[in-house]
Amino acid sequence: MPQLAPIICDNGTGYSKIGFAGNSDPSFVFPTAISTRGSATQSSRAPAVPSKPGNLASKRGVEDLDFFIGDEALANAKTPGYGVHYPIRHGMIDNWDHMERYWEQVIFKYLRAEPEDHYFLLVRSFTFDLIITPLNCVQTEPPLNPPENREQTAEIFFESFNIKGLYIAVQAVLALAASWSSPKVTDRTLTGTVIDSGDGVTHVIPCAEGYVIGSAIKHIPIAGRDITQFVLNLLRERGETAAIPPEDQLKIAGKVKENFSYVCQDIVKEFRKYDVEPYTYFQRYEGEHSVTGRQYSIDVGYERFLAPEIFFNPEIYSSDFLTPLPDIVDDVIQQSPIDVRRGLYKNIVLSGGSTMFQHFGNRLKRDLKHLVDRRLDASALASGSALRSSGVEVDVISHKRQRYAVWFGGSLLADLPEFYSSCHTKAQYDEIGPSICRRYQIFGSATQ
Amino acid sequence: MILLESHNVIIKTTLADKINKPSSLDVSFVDYDGVRFRLSTPERKTALLLSMQIRCWDELVRYGALDVLRREYGSLLKDQAEGEYNVSMEIDLEQVPAGAEDREAFIDSIALFKRNALAAPFELAFKTQKELEEANAGQGDLMQIHYRDEEAIYVQAANDRVTVIFSTIFSDETDRIFGKVFLQEFVDARRLPAIQNAPQVLYSNRDPPLEIRHLNLQKSEDIGYVTFVLFPRHFSNPAVAATTISQVQLFRDYLHYHIKCSKAYMHSRMRHRAAEFQKVLNRAKQENTSAEKKTVRFVASFI
Repeated sequence: MPQLAPIICDNGTGYSKIGFAGNSDPSFVFPTAISTRGSATQSSRAPAVPSKPGNLASKRGVEDLDFFIGDEALANAKTPGYGVHYPIRHGMIDNWDHMERYWEQVIFKYLRAEPEDHYFLLVRSFTFDLIITPLNCVQTEPPLNPPENREQTAEIFFESFNIKGLYIAVQAVLALAASWSSPKVTDRTLTGTVIDSGDGVTHVIPCAEGYVIGSAIKHIPIAGRDITQFVLNLLRERGETAAIPPEDQLKIAGKVKENFSYVCQDIVKEFRKYDVEPYTYFQRYEGEHSVTGRQYSIDVGYERFLAPEIFFNPEIYSSDFLTPLPDIVDDVIQQSPIDVRRGLYKNIVLSGGSTMFQHFGNRLKRDLKHLVDRRLDASALASGSALRSSGVEVDVISHKRQRYAVWFGGSLLADLPEFYSSCHTKAQYDEIGPSICRRYQIFGSATQ
Repeated sequence: MILLESHNVIIKTTLADKINKPSSLDVSFVDYDGVRFRLSTPERKTALLLSMQIRCWDELVRYGALDVLRREYGSLLKDQAEGEYNVSMEIDLEQVPAGAEDREAFIDSIALFKRNALAAPFELAFKTQKELEEANAGQGDLMQIHYRDEEAIYVQAANDRVTVIFSTIFSDETDRIFGKVFLQEFVDARRLPAIQNAPQVLYSNRDPPLEIRHLNLQKSEDIGYVTFVLFPRHFSNPAVAATTISQVQLFRDYLHYHIKCSKAYMHSRMRHRAAEFQKVLNRAKQENTSAEKKTVRFVASFI
């Protein structure tokens, strides 16, 4: 077992989470952005061709080294001559040139590691290319991230960086592994339903013993960004936004969402509670104008419980997408093979920043339990009350590491001794070639 | 980014973050040359313990690393290092300098922990060179720092110069060739008038340079030796000496970083070329491939 910790790299569409195995939080979380010389809109993607004559040293400039990534990329976005690019689109790598250079700086500037000495665990997003139809409904069966992409990633890591070993993990499986840190979890199983809700889209992904049931995955076009927008709408309707400078409004709405929101168990009772005792439930948000330094404060009211409510009653926000999250989860599990359904109901795992609302898990569990029980009753009735089911256990697991659950799961798994034997090594790559990444080995589960 | 930075980004960002908002933490991370760090708060939230493990610690101590670290960090340095680490220091977040500039300088100096530890043999060599210059004869001891498993830095002072030799191993065939071209360029580029003041660089493959030939090092095609000859003008001024040390230390990583960058550049050219060829192939495709094809369904058999 090598001494140096493996590197966990989760490159998402919006943010990259990067760090070392064994830690509980990623060392770096920054936008997956790269700013290079040349405008962002420039259509020609050809790299600079050496043009100057003379000896080799002066022939080529250093344009290919002149770039920034992450927060620095955004900070340099306004510098004349630089343009910002996002090399990952919809979970798939779109521009390999940029991605290769992005990794170059991740490793050498931020992690300060020699790739030759480290094993890497990369996170593969499972699905993607969401095709959003005019009605804003997401297709239910998106194409999968093709294996060629994995091969190309392996090519870069093994041939450009000469890394020691590579493991490409599936997002949902890592989220399941992250839930092992919860005290509620007793057996380390890789069967369960993952609800992953980040900024853009929410996914519901069923997993059976470490393998994703691709045909049953569903997406919901409601996630963090929509909740923020909804909070902003509510604030606007009440006229609170008059005090907030227009350029800060979205940011303030985001802060209100993060700091004050929670999931209520009964929306009617909650409204009544607020109306009877407004002074205990209404809260104030104190802000400061980012330019002038003027202090202002706004009231925070019903949006505290209405914001996350859009998962459970989407009709209050959108008129296009109307299926509540518990129904989607139920659908997903019903579409999965019958022999794993019990396991999927029993282990519903939350991951991503937008699942961090207080009591989110409880509410989801209650609503889902309700759906399941009603169906069991109906089938008992249909059978003439002769056969009764013994009941289906429904459980939703919340844990402390939900925000970066995928990264944390990777950190947990890569810390296990089995990790090294499951990795594709440089020697194997040299022997067989990039196609080794088509093989995917699960490990770490207690039920294997 | 052409030059690598000598400070550790994780130490810098974490420290800046924790000074503003102390909270408990326990992270381990690495730096170049297999250096391992651990930053933790074992007792209370405001007392950070930073431990470092370096492979060649014993050698560094022999060349005065503890003195250098004590000079830089004073009482921050702990007498007893944390288990399995070589050296530890304790940072009390309540006693961090208050002014914004002082604070930044403080954070920067801590982020240079590894650099300062590795600086010891160089500082010693510079000092020895001064003494030898006065005596006007002789050579200092050859200092060996085995900073990686199979690679080492050799530093030797003479009366008019300090010689630094690196051995480096290229694990990959392609890397070796890139490295060779790259280092050859180094030797050539020095002829340009603008960089005449740069230290002399020599490169040899397989055979170790004369200074270290008596060590009976293992000979192999994969090993390259880079020799820097530093003259007093590179280290007589303390500020110049500091940058010289920072840059010479990181030379190996700098070299490997640039090999990787060159490969990335080559790959981007290759991708571009492949895309161009693809376009040519697409142009050669026949226009109407979807012409209507008719299958004869009924064959008149009674003619």
